[in-house]
Amino acid sequence: MTLDQESVRHLSEVSVSVELETPEMTLNIGPQHPSTHGVLRLMARVDGERTYDVRPVIGYMHRGYEKLAEVRTYPQITTIVNRIDWVSGYANEVPFMTAAEKLMEIEVPERALWIRTILTEMARISSHLVFMASYPLELGAATPLFFALRERERVLDLLESVTGGRFHPNFNRIGGVKPAYGSGSSTRKMIQDLPASFFAETKLAMENVLEACEQLEDLVAGNEIILARTRGVGVLPPEVAAAYGVTGPNLRASGVAFDLRKVEDYLPYDQFDFDVVTGENGDCWDRWYVRLQEIRQSARIVSQAVDSIPSGPLQAKVPKVIKVPRGETYVRAENPKGEMGYYLVSDGGQGPYRLKIRSASFSNISILPWALEGVLIPDIIAIMGSLDFVLGDVDR
Amino acid sequence: MTSSQPEAESAEEAGAAEEVEAPHPLAEYAESVASAVGGEGVVTFDTVKVTVPADQWVETLTTARDELGLVMLSFVSAIDWSNQPAVGEALEEELEEETFELLATVADLTEGRRVTFSTRIPHEEAVIDSLVEVYAGANWHEREAHEMFGIVFTGHPDLSHLYLPDGFLGNPLLKSFPLLSREVKPWPGTVDVEAMPEDDDDESEAESEGDGDEAAPADEAEPEEATDDEADDEEGS
Repeated sequence: MTLDQESVRHLSEVSVSVELETPEMTLNIGPQHPSTHGVLRLMARVDGERTYDVRPVIGYMHRGYEKLAEVRTYPQITTIVNRIDWVSGYANEVPFMTAAEKLMEIEVPERALWIRTILTEMARISSHLVFMASYPLELGAATPLFFALRERERVLDLLESVTGGRFHPNFNRIGGVKPAYGSGSSTRKMIQDLPASFFAETKLAMENVLEACEQLEDLVAGNEIILARTRGVGVLPPEVAAAYGVTGPNLRASGVAFDLRKVEDYLPYDQFDFDVVTGENGDCWDRWYVRLQEIRQSARIVSQAVDSIPSGPLQAKVPKVIKVPRGETYVRAENPKGEMGYYLVSDGGQGPYRLKIRSASFSNISILPWALEGVLIPDIIAIMGSLDFVLGDVDR
Repeated sequence: MTSSQPEAESAEEAGAAEEVEAPHPLAEYAESVASAVGGEGVVTFDTVKVTVPADQWVETLTTARDELGLVMLSFVSAIDWSNQPAVGEALEEELEEETFELLATVADLTEGRRVTFSTRIPHEEAVIDSLVEVYAGANWHEREAHEMFGIVFTGHPDLSHLYLPDGFLGNPLLKSFPLLSREVKPWPGTVDVEAMPEDDDDESEAESEGDGDEAAPADEAEPEEATDDEADDEEGS
């Protein structure tokens, strides 16, 4: 037997597979497992330390949002969509609003678009920081969690100060963002804007986030155990990833420089200077590193947006009862997890005729049967964790 | 759609009406995709949509992947065009034929092109060839469409339930499938729908702003009216 590089790394596995006969068995992982970010069950055929024919079982969190959307009005659907990926609730609202606004041909005021951009990027930072906390933890390193969650809490506090919610902001309205108390009514003319100290505190928070990125990089990138467990593990070739619909940081880690923020116009990203970060090998390590760099880029966008935010109204003029004219459109956006899209079909009513929700994590983990074929059991956790999925985003 | 407005209220709307006249920037691309696959292309609100006959479904997507560079599968799903909705609003115009419309959105990874391919199959014979061989990711999307709409994808390796429990009967996303929680308790409660006295003026104003063809009595009977609080939030300044 020749020893390839991968086998050498796992010396225990070498001795087992050479010495012993290993009868095949079926291994159930989950549905309740700390590394599954929710309730995901994996059924795997195990031969020794290797897994074959892995079948993910999903649906434990299925809430039927596509059906529920058909019996709700457009303003009510906002509360549903920000529960899809609850780690970055705000980012889910924006493409849905954009789709409805497109059909209604509403032009959203610039200031509202800027606020949407700032909050979306802050949602991205907080989502990626959860990954920075949980992924090393799954690989056995507890310390990065404290550094990452401390900064995330600051970002969430700021989100909360604007929207009133840490996880489920429900802050977007068709035609803009939520007009602060009184600004939308004909009788109450008082207009409030974002909290007075928001911009100054956000700039400070972004500096803190950048500092935390340095600390996280120091902590994790120099850790031999983490490097050994992630480098060369779970390699996703770009063409396979694309066929499965894997998007976002997972795809960019495979070397594809594709970011919907650069090609779609749902938010004014062309006004800001930022880089699309890519990895080289498409392994678990690259997926970690791409996300770390994306936090830095998002902080860059937020700082620029805070400096250049135009003044003006927060809300376009919309009818009191929202009715969306007949038509259909697909709007996709760069969610922290990947491509988040809504195919909205309206028949002119107060609610959609059909709302197809394309969520990023669903496609991202549909590659698991391919990615986990023939890997070592401990690598299941490393690979699954590196895809950074949320079961709410998988099951919808 | 803008032309149905009673009168253009601002220069903005007049501008929008003019834009409709000019060809959409994506129109040319829609044409080229349509001619490459032998279908019919339109641009609907910045979305390129190409409709093809059902027997060319797999062939079309293969062409899209191999020749048009649309290598990334975004989603596969369906729309149930039905005259008998158990929940939600009925279609404004009755359909001559009830069909499933299949949608497959694919995209490239360089220029940001995306195309939604569409085809129609009849309700009675909801069978279509599977796209699994073309895009591996279609596997789960088709399983979802199978359990949600009852569409059969021939050539699919495993059409077992994806989300629903094993013994589940029915296809929840069919328009004819009732939503049990709505049957038990209408929501939002009917009390919320009663208009406040001060809202009378606003209501008529809203109607003159919106499309003029909405029927007021239907609105009152509609249980899904926005609550007053919601509606107040939505009101323009």
